[in-house]
Amino acid sequence: MIDRIPSGFHPFVIPFLVGMAFVLLYCGFALLRIIHQLSWQDRKKFFLSLITPTTIYKNIRDIFANCLLHIPLWKRNKLFGYMHSSIAFGWFMLIVLGHLEVILFVPGRINLFYYPIFFNYFVAEADETIRGSLLFFLMDFFLLIVMSGIAMAMFRRIKNHVFGVKRMARPTFLNLVGLYSLWAIFPLRWLAESFTAHISGGSFMTIPANWLFRQFLGNELNMLPTWWAYSFALCIFMCVLPFTRYMHIPAEMLLIPMRNAGLKVRNSRKGFAKVEVFACPNCGVCIDACPMTVDNGNVKDCTVYLTRQLRRNNEERIQEISDKCLLCGKCEALCQVGVEGPGLRILERARRDYAVPFTYPATDKAIESRKVLYFAGCMTHLTPSIGRSVEAILKKAGVDFTWLDPQGGLCCGRPMFTAGRIAEAKSIVANMERLILESGCDTLLVSCPICYKMFRENYNLPGVQVTNYIPFINELIDSHKIRVEKSDICYVYHDPCELGRGCGMYNEPRQLLGRSAGIAESAHNREESICCGGSLGSLSLDFAQRENMTKAALNDLYTSNADAVATACPLCLATFARYADRPVKDIAEIVNNQII
Amino acid sequence: MIDFGFTLSKSSTVDLTTLDRSRYDQLIKLVPTARMCMNCGSCGATCTVGEYKGMSVRKVLYGIQRGEDVKAMLSSCMLCGKCTMVCPRGINTRNLILNLCKIYD
Amino acid sequence: MKQNIVIIGGGIAGLEAAKQIHNLGYQTFLVEKSDHLGGHVASWHRLFPDMIATKPLIKDMISAIKGVTVFLETQVNDVEGVREGYRLSLSNGINITAQAVLVASGFQLFEAQRKEEYGYGIYDHVITNADLEAWMNGNKDQRIPAAPKAIGFVHCVGSRDLKAGNSQCSKVCCMTAIKQAIEMKERFPNAEVYCFYMDLRLFGKKYEDFYINAQRDFGIHFVRGRVSEVSETIDGRLQVKAEDTLIGRPLKVQLDTLVLMSGMCCNPLIQKLAEQARLEIDSDGFLKSRDNITNIIESGREGIFFAGACTGTKTVPETVAEARAAALSIHNYLLQND
Repeated sequence: MIDRIPSGFHPFVIPFLVGMAFVLLYCGFALLRIIHQLSWQDRKKFFLSLITPTTIYKNIRDIFANCLLHIPLWKRNKLFGYMHSSIAFGWFMLIVLGHLEVILFVPGRINLFYYPIFFNYFVAEADETIRGSLLFFLMDFFLLIVMSGIAMAMFRRIKNHVFGVKRMARPTFLNLVGLYSLWAIFPLRWLAESFTAHISGGSFMTIPANWLFRQFLGNELNMLPTWWAYSFALCIFMCVLPFTRYMHIPAEMLLIPMRNAGLKVRNSRKGFAKVEVFACPNCGVCIDACPMTVDNGNVKDCTVYLTRQLRRNNEERIQEISDKCLLCGKCEALCQVGVEGPGLRILERARRDYAVPFTYPATDKAIESRKVLYFAGCMTHLTPSIGRSVEAILKKAGVDFTWLDPQGGLCCGRPMFTAGRIAEAKSIVANMERLILESGCDTLLVSCPICYKMFRENYNLPGVQVTNYIPFINELIDSHKIRVEKSDICYVYHDPCELGRGCGMYNEPRQLLGRSAGIAESAHNREESICCGGSLGSLSLDFAQRENMTKAALNDLYTSNADAVATACPLCLATFARYADRPVKDIAEIVNNQII
Repeated sequence: MIDFGFTLSKSSTVDLTTLDRSRYDQLIKLVPTARMCMNCGSCGATCTVGEYKGMSVRKVLYGIQRGEDVKAMLSSCMLCGKCTMVCPRGINTRNLILNLCKIYD
Repeated sequence: MKQNIVIIGGGIAGLEAAKQIHNLGYQTFLVEKSDHLGGHVASWHRLFPDMIATKPLIKDMISAIKGVTVFLETQVNDVEGVREGYRLSLSNGINITAQAVLVASGFQLFEAQRKEEYGYGIYDHVITNADLEAWMNGNKDQRIPAAPKAIGFVHCVGSRDLKAGNSQCSKVCCMTAIKQAIEMKERFPNAEVYCFYMDLRLFGKKYEDFYINAQRDFGIHFVRGRVSEVSETIDGRLQVKAEDTLIGRPLKVQLDTLVLMSGMCCNPLIQKLAEQARLEIDSDGFLKSRDNITNIIESGREGIFFAGACTGTKTVPETVAEARAAALSIHNYLLQND
């Protein structure tokens, strides 16, 4: 292998260099800006993590697994996994092997930035070596892999449903430019290398093509235009990259180390949030995941559109999207890069100014001192079956308990928190903390998952164990305080958003339900459970707009063919009971009826 | 000031002809369902803070329509959502309160 | 040949129409899904405003349909349009080809447990209007204490309630509540009786006089506010929360019995029939008449007629009047077709 062009330069590399320079400068500046926007604690954390061996290892492993091999995507959808990893990993290997070729054959040229990219143009094959053929074979092999991925991407544009994805985000004009230039890069590279293959040599993809083209096309004449076209395609792709979804490629490589460093989103428009927003690949998984998009409604209010509007600073739409969301968390649970749709929205809501301040309506309730303090929560007072059942179970088990809110009327602060009024929520929390600590209890028993999440994450109750009623009742059964027998009724368990995705409690409710009744599973359960539509997370969705969401969630539960629906949230219970064609019951009620 | 032995009281009549409805109109644009209230009082009855602060979405909404000051009631709302749950007309009461807190000055 | 007419539903609409149609000389069939005639009214104790006892009234109506073929515990399995009219196959295996069909399927009482916040089926002393009538008819009911000190009536349970899927006013509950309040006051003169209402809709003949009686002679307390939730106190009484909307303050009261005035919903069993006979359902969930002014008893399909609460909430006099009108409409229709 020898250098063919003595100067080592041809004008066709200029477009590539322009594009490369642009994208590097853009990303460099963006990186500096984001790091500048971090709080000094976060910045310190981040830099420290970059020199800590364990996080370095984690970063490299995660970048390889997520950005190149797309392992989480493989787990969800094999076709998608192949499509993305073939392009990403194939392209990566082409770059790596290109550099290897330069190092091995023309080591003097390694300082030339463009050489590995256009290697085949600049060299001529003097003699065939095993090493050379192997490299050429690998180059052609990975080019084939990439092109197979591109072919799948093209096919997907026509027949989306084959991939099991119903809806994608509507591409913007620039996204289309990026898409078509990306599609063009690899076929053009193949053409260019094929036309050059009789000089530079090649392998199974390029040599036969070279022979074929030679039969009816003058190879020499086509050589340069294809190299120009290849370079231009690269240039266009890189020039539009910062303004398209392809920004997720560099952004995700920053997101992974930042997340591994333990950074959290603190401001929806700055720092880490910006990285998350740019890391959104616009794949549209959140559209199918979103409970609001039933019957193709509210598609433009999904997280993919939130990130898009956040990039555009479209204030009106950002507000609309932030206020509508049910905060069920399914988009985040299914998101391949972990964009925190609900969290970003709460922070967006927190940016609003309110002319009327909140003043905590202080109460002077005296609470009896008992071991266990049962907090039913606001909503449970509208679904008395839950509170009554919990009370009955506690009495039967001989638990020393009292109610924190016997006649209704104390809020945990979660609704205020999700409305984005964080400081106001904190004042509610402070008052509740005082009330609970003064009662002298050692366990706070909570039956509402909305409250439970708030108590777990936002309360500081030293000496008080906060527990959800489900593990508590399981414990009562385990310790033989109560005994239950199994009924013949088969229930399908609905995972409430705040208990499942919110607190990660999936197995305990199933265990408890299974002890007292038959249990069936619906098509979408656990982290894929569909929100009942009654969530307080949404500020702007009206009652009438939620009807279809509730019915869709119920229809999914009905796929189990169960006799009845079981859940563990007062809001899910009340919402489902409105439209259900079969009984809807809380787990506590089911258990209480089966106590012997 | 001359002491006539009596004082003149301001009229307590709500004069719908001259009443400034702009705040209510603004609210309706943001929360169209607010128009559907039939004054049943479910919201005020179920309200978590109603017992202590006299908060009632019905009263807030009616007060706004009649030019009353409802700030004190608004400021005590914890957004717990019980009123939204019980409203027989499906009014989005939480959105109503949040929007009023925003536009009320 | 005598023409066949099938009446679906043996409530007061069906009974009255059967009598009239039979008297006009047609072969009349009455199909009733339950084991008795008279429908909801038969299980009522007395009727407002004259406090007429229902038992003799229904007895008279049943004795007036001699000659009508009555199928009890029978449902219509299928309806099919044929050249002569409609072919109905009944659950008892009998098929009838009818020249005209009268749907008098009535209403279903709203299931009060669906408003869980009122605690029907959860608390020990919450009953419905129908439970109270059954109790007045002599049935035992543990939920009504021997000497209640305070009794409450909640109007509009499942009526005027979009959350319950019913936007309509059930028309009769205001009067029923006042009637039952008076009856309770007569039985328990020392009890305080409260009616929780949103609007009192007392539109019929002598209804307002009835209301005046309740106020003047019985001292029944009317509270303008919808009950939002019910809880139970430690000593087993009910605590009811409402807003007194007239003074604008939250209100609570402890009661020994709470009566829920369940409203009227369209009979869900009619959905299948409506599909088979291609009858339209109106936006309120009831069957859709040709129009709601002069043709309320006519369906969108030739030869199918309506009477009573299948097209909307109705009082007893309205239902009976509609049944007679339907008989006449069917008669005219068959004369025209001859």
